[in-house]
This record gives sequence, C-alpha cells and structure tokens, in this order.
Amino acid sequence: MTQPIDTSIYAAITEAIQAEAHRILAEGEVTAIVGYAAARRKGSAQPIIITDAADSVKLIFTPACVNNLAVYLTKAKKDIPKNGKIGIVVKGCDLKALSGLMGESQLKREELYLIGVPCAGVLASTVCPDQELTGDSIAPKCTECDAHLPTGCDFVPAETLVTPELERKYAVEIARLEALTPAERWVYWKEQFAKCIKCYACRQVCPFCFCEQCLCDRNKPQMVDTTPRPAGNTAWHIVRAMHLAGRCAGCAECERVCPMDIPLNLLNRKMAKELKELYNHEAGFEVLDKGPLNMFTEKDDQSFIK
Amino acid sequence: MWPPKKGNHSGLPLPLRPHMQKQITQQNLNILLDSLIKEGIRVVAPHMNGGTPLYEPLTCSADMNTGQLPRRSAKEAFFPVCEDIMTYEKEGQKVTVTDIDPVRFPETVLVGVRPCDAAAIPVLDAVFSWDYKDEFFLERRRKTTIIGLACTTADDACFCTAVGLSPAETKGSDLFLTPLVGGGYVCETYSDKGEQLITNHKELFSDTGGAKTLPLAQPETGKIDLKKVKAWLDEHFEDPLWDGIATRCVGCGACAFVCPACHCFDIVDEGTEKAGTRRKNWDACGFWKFTHHASGHNPRDGQPKRYRNRIMHKFKYYDDKFGQTLCSGCGRCVRVCPVGIDIKAIIDTILNSEC
Amino acid sequence: MQPTKQNTFEPKIIAFVCTWCTYAGADLAGTSRMQYPSNVRVLKFPCTGRIDPVFILKAFQQGADGVLVSGCHPGDCHYIAGNFHARRRFAVFRKLLEFVGVDLNRLQFSWVSAAEGGKWVEVVTDLTEKVRSMGPMTEFKELAMEEQWSGAINTPELQEAYNSI
Repeated sequence: MTQPIDTSIYAAITEAIQAEAHRILAEGEVTAIVGYAAARRKGSAQPIIITDAADSVKLIFTPACVNNLAVYLTKAKKDIPKNGKIGIVVKGCDLKALSGLMGESQLKREELYLIGVPCAGVLASTVCPDQELTGDSIAPKCTECDAHLPTGCDFVPAETLVTPELERKYAVEIARLEALTPAERWVYWKEQFAKCIKCYACRQVCPFCFCEQCLCDRNKPQMVDTTPRPAGNTAWHIVRAMHLAGRCAGCAECERVCPMDIPLNLLNRKMAKELKELYNHEAGFEVLDKGPLNMFTEKDDQSFIK
Repeated sequence: MWPPKKGNHSGLPLPLRPHMQKQITQQNLNILLDSLIKEGIRVVAPHMNGGTPLYEPLTCSADMNTGQLPRRSAKEAFFPVCEDIMTYEKEGQKVTVTDIDPVRFPETVLVGVRPCDAAAIPVLDAVFSWDYKDEFFLERRRKTTIIGLACTTADDACFCTAVGLSPAETKGSDLFLTPLVGGGYVCETYSDKGEQLITNHKELFSDTGGAKTLPLAQPETGKIDLKKVKAWLDEHFEDPLWDGIATRCVGCGACAFVCPACHCFDIVDEGTEKAGTRRKNWDACGFWKFTHHASGHNPRDGQPKRYRNRIMHKFKYYDDKFGQTLCSGCGRCVRVCPVGIDIKAIIDTILNSEC
Repeated sequence: MQPTKQNTFEPKIIAFVCTWCTYAGADLAGTSRMQYPSNVRVLKFPCTGRIDPVFILKAFQQGADGVLVSGCHPGDCHYIAGNFHARRRFAVFRKLLEFVGVDLNRLQFSWVSAAEGGKWVEVVTDLTEKVRSMGPMTEFKELAMEEQWSGAINTPELQEAYNSI
C-alpha cells in the first residue's frame, strides 16, 4: 500500500490559484480570500485569510493543505471580515460541507467565490508535514473520495486529474466492527473514548458545529458531563455523532485533528451508511432544502417500532 | 501574598547537584521497573496505546516504549486530566461531604520523561504552591520520583534549545538517564529521591566505565532572546499582530491540553441532587467559555484576544510572577494544532518586528 | 427461602411518552384497572418529536435498565408531523447506539394511542420481562466508575461512593 500518489499537478494548481486570487482581489470581486499558505516547518501549510492582492503569492496547494476552510465561513468564526463577497479555496470534500451549510441557510452562494481545487488526496496527519503522499500516508477519507473534481465552482484551476484507486479504509473498518458483538464493540469504543481529553478540537474544526452555545457547554440542564472521564467522553461522542447524522459532509476534520487519534469519522461514516440505506441520502455538491432528518415520508421504515 | 516572592514555596526539596553517577544496563533497568511494579509502586512511562504514544502506568517493563515523544505531557502524573476532590451524599436533610484524602495517592515512579516534560514540572510547582498550597498537586509531587531521559531524536517542531533548555536538560529530574552506545544508560542523581532509588537497588547499578554516550538530538532552533520577547509583549497588548496570527485559531483546547506547562483547570460538580462528586479537570484559555461571565459578558470576546492570552501568559505574565518562561519548547502544540498555529513562528515574528 | 440476587432484580424502565396518545393510553390502562409491572417510570412530553435522543442516553447513564419511547400512531400526531420526524431520528439513533455497543433489546419504541390501554400494558410488560431476563444494564454504570489513569485512586470508600450514585 506504499504506492506513491501523483500530486504533480498541485504545482500548476498553486500557480493558477495565485493568479486568480490576484485578479479577483485586484478587481474588487471579493474582499477576502480564505486559502492555504506555507508555514514555518518544512512542508507544512496553514489556513490564511488574505485581503490584499499582493498577498496572493502566499497561496499554495500541497498534500499538507488538509484543512476544511469552510469552518471559517460559519457563525462560529466571527473574526473573519464579512463585508463583501469572500473567496475560498475548496477541495471536493470541503465543497460538500459548503453545500450543506447553504442548505442549512448558514451561507448564501452569491456571497461566495469558489475556487474549486481538483484534489488527488491530502495527508492523514500533519504531525510530520514533510512526507510524500502515498497509499499509507493519505487521509483515510481520500481512499473513499467521490469528489476529486469539485463542480459548480466559479473557478477551477485544472480540469483533469489522475486519481488513485485505493482500498476503502472506512468501509473495511466499519465492516470489521459490524461483525463484532455489541459487547465487543462497547469494549472497542470504551478504549477509544477513554483517551479523549475534551479539548473539543473535533467540535471546533467542524463546519457543522456552528451552534452559538453547544449543548455540551450548557449546565442548565447538564445533559452531558463535561469532565474528561470515560462516562462524559462517551456521552459527548455519541451526542456529537447524532447531531451530525444527516449533516456531516465527510471532510473527516474531526478525526484528523484529534490529538488522541480517536477514529471519530468512523462514527460519522457509519451514520452516513445508515442514512444511505434508510433514506437514500448522501452528502453531495447539491444544495438540499432539507436534510434527511428534517424531513420524512409516510412510508418510512418503522419495523423497529411496536 | 501579592506579588509572590520568587523562590521555593512548595516545600519540596530543592534539587541537588549531581553527586552520584552510575551506569545501568537496559536489562537491569527493566528488572528495576518490574520489581517496583511488584512492590505496588505505580510505574508510569511512555507506552504505545494503539498507535498513540502516551505516558501510562505499566503492567510490565517490556511495555515501555521511549521511541516517540508521548502525545500528552508528563504533567498529568501530578495534575490529572480529571480528578475527584470531594464527594457528597444527601439523605433526607442530612448531607455528608467526604473530602478525597491526598494521602491515598499512589507512590509513583515516572520513568523515561523527556527533558522538556521534566523541566516544566518545577514550573508547575511554583504555580501550585506560591499562595494556595494545592495539596492534590503537591502530594502527588512528593510521592513521585522522576527519571528523566536525554533525547536522541528531535523533529522540526522541537524547540527546547530556543527557550534555554536542551536535550540533556536535567531540571526537574530526580535521576537522569543518558543512553550509551551499545545500550544501557549513564545515570546521574539530582535529588535525595533519586539517590534513594539507586541505594535501594544498588545491585542493579554499576560504576561508570567511561562508556560513550549516544549523540544527543540537535533541535534546529538556536536560543532566542526571551527578554526581548517579553519586552515586546510588555508594550504590545494591543497590536495588529494578534489579529494577523490568531484569526485562524478555531478555539479548541488541544494546545493547552498537550502542553507540559499549561495548568488551568475548572471545577465542576457532577451527579444528582442525591449524590455526586466535585471534580477538577483541565481547562484552556482558548475556549470561548473560559472567560464567559454569568452575566453573558465575555471580556475576551474574540479568538485573537484568547490566543493573545496564551502567548502573554507563557512569555510575559508568568515571567512577571515567577521569573521563568511558561514554555519548555516541546513543540507539542505545534504538532497538534488543527490549523497549524506555530508558537515558535510567532516568537520569531515578534523578535523580527521593528517596534 | 433466602432470595438469590438473580430473582430479586427489578429492572428500572424509563418511559418517555407523548402526552396526547401514549400518556392518555397509560391513563386508560390505569382507570380500567389493568395490571402492569410497576417497574416503569413514565415521563410525559408534549410529543415524541420533543424527545431528544440525549434523554435516552441520560436515562441509561442514570441507571435505567431499559428505555421505552412511545407516542401517537403515524398520522395521529397532535402537531401533524412530530412523530414522523421522531421516527427517522430514532431509527438513526438506534443504529448509532448499536454501533457503539449498546444492546438494542433494552430500547423499545412503540405507538400507543389514547384508546390502547391494553397495548400499553402489553408493551410495558414485554419490555420489563425482556429486560428482567437480561439482567441489569451494567455498561454505563461501570463506565461511570472509570477514571483516566491519572485521576484514579480506587480506594474502597470511593468505590462505595460511586456505587451509591
């Protein structure tokens, strides 16, 4: 599985992003652009918000451009200037999140200028950012990606892309867990959740966790114990997965940022799988008026109800 | 009590100069750890939990794995992620409150501690003992012997050398191990506790035979002028720099929770009206809720203000109070930050700024 | 004869019900003097659509051995569609609980109308007997006693204090 992944096109993408960013900022089409820039450590990248056309040379696209920048456009992030149209660099998975946010009336399409990046994959972790993109180092989400080429964007830096064929890491792991007994699964998740330290990185990077006050930050009533003990951790992760069911776009940021390596996206993928089976719902580029849990049909399955 | 007097308030013994130098083989170190475990002492060491390196209690010395810097720092041996401080019970009109007695904390040997983690421990001592003596922290400290381990590898997030420490720093260690070429360690004592440990197991140690130590890690960063950083911070509470670097901060607590020196905590009651527990758990200044008042007002009402506090506390406030820096350069926050915020890069920016 | 631990186990069943149908149905069972296990504690909500999945989680955490959620039949919702929304939400929540390892035999959903006192008795009796045969729900109780290693002191007194919670 150490097959190298072809990312040679990323250099051309970087150039095209810089040129387009310069144009739209200089012509006043947008007031700010959210993109990626190189950081101090070799190979590393970090989100950047630029408002000056001269800064457009800072923008890059590399396998270390892991972030879903959609989080910067949500209500949770009040610090981004929103006094005009905003440009944003999006990969396919990020665009799904933006579509979801539009469906939930958090964003308006006409207020955005989308730079849709064709993406063969990004790194799973940026603890060591200076590494080749291979079948091993690639983010698990990229092994199941059906959105390498974003569509419906205002600007696409390249039209073609060599995309890798990889083993679907989540599908394999979910199948493994489903084959276990409930008691075995309980043990598995207990070990995973026990590591949690409630840093809430999973919540803070999630584009869909835009509540002004999280249920888990409320103490009247205190529905979820706030302490980082196994009990409170388990409750938090169950609540998180439930609140994202039918909304999660699969960017897997929660899992990537977890400093304790808890496979959080497994929960989200499992929910996505069930929603596909039950209600034929899948996160995509299309903006839906209502998510699968905000609507119903009279014929919905109720075989589990007496 | 304000301002705090500089010096030792913790009542913990001050470190000694090294006055015992011995040698121990890897095999004998394992025998030592196993016999400690058998004695009922909690032996905490770097260990692989799945694919994640963490400091955790060992059940057998073979589980120790010092290959990688643990994801969380060693501070949790004294300052747990979450600990009980009292329990309550209510029956009719009668309320019984039971304090947790720190005497019951386990005797611990913390082994394989990286110099950056060990050096942060005396920094924490100062905070937990200058005014209010936190018996929960101090009792755990008294009951713990720290065996440091020199670093032979570093990555580009490491910057201990920048804050005046080094891969061979012995600050905070009771006993310090330096790996030898061909296996085994040189073992130096820096406190009575360390000496006691050697004395109790002297058959496992031998005199140093002039064996060569492994070359130590060389983090790429040179020493930075912390005085200059502080001088800049003294003058720039309001500065455009904060917006520039911290707008990208998403407001999680990852940096503070993996940090060996961050020490903020929250106290919460959990349970029902009939019975429950008061608990102390880690908190972080990056959280929106950290400074949120009951009135609804939040004096740090934006992420740049919260991030500024992190930098200010590390390089200015703590220095003002205790004459030290609240950062040991372990680089953990650099590695785990979801949005790639790099504290070393920020310090560089501050040093390079004109005014 | 000294009763053994097994046959003295009385399951705690929490029932989250809607006020318009199931609560009235349970009331009918009562006024009709029908007998059903007293293990069930009924909590009344305006609608099944108001029953947040986190309530179910909380019930298990606070010591419930079984949970029942019950409301109006599809099409009978006092608020037109509350139970349709609830149906989808609970269908998904069940799958989540199953995936983290909760035995779904402890969680029952039902539609019980105001006229179905008999069905209420049947649903409650079935769930109670099923849970009784399964024994106490220990997963969440054990979890509540666990600590991160650094906070653990595990003294007998503490253990006792936790057991009483």
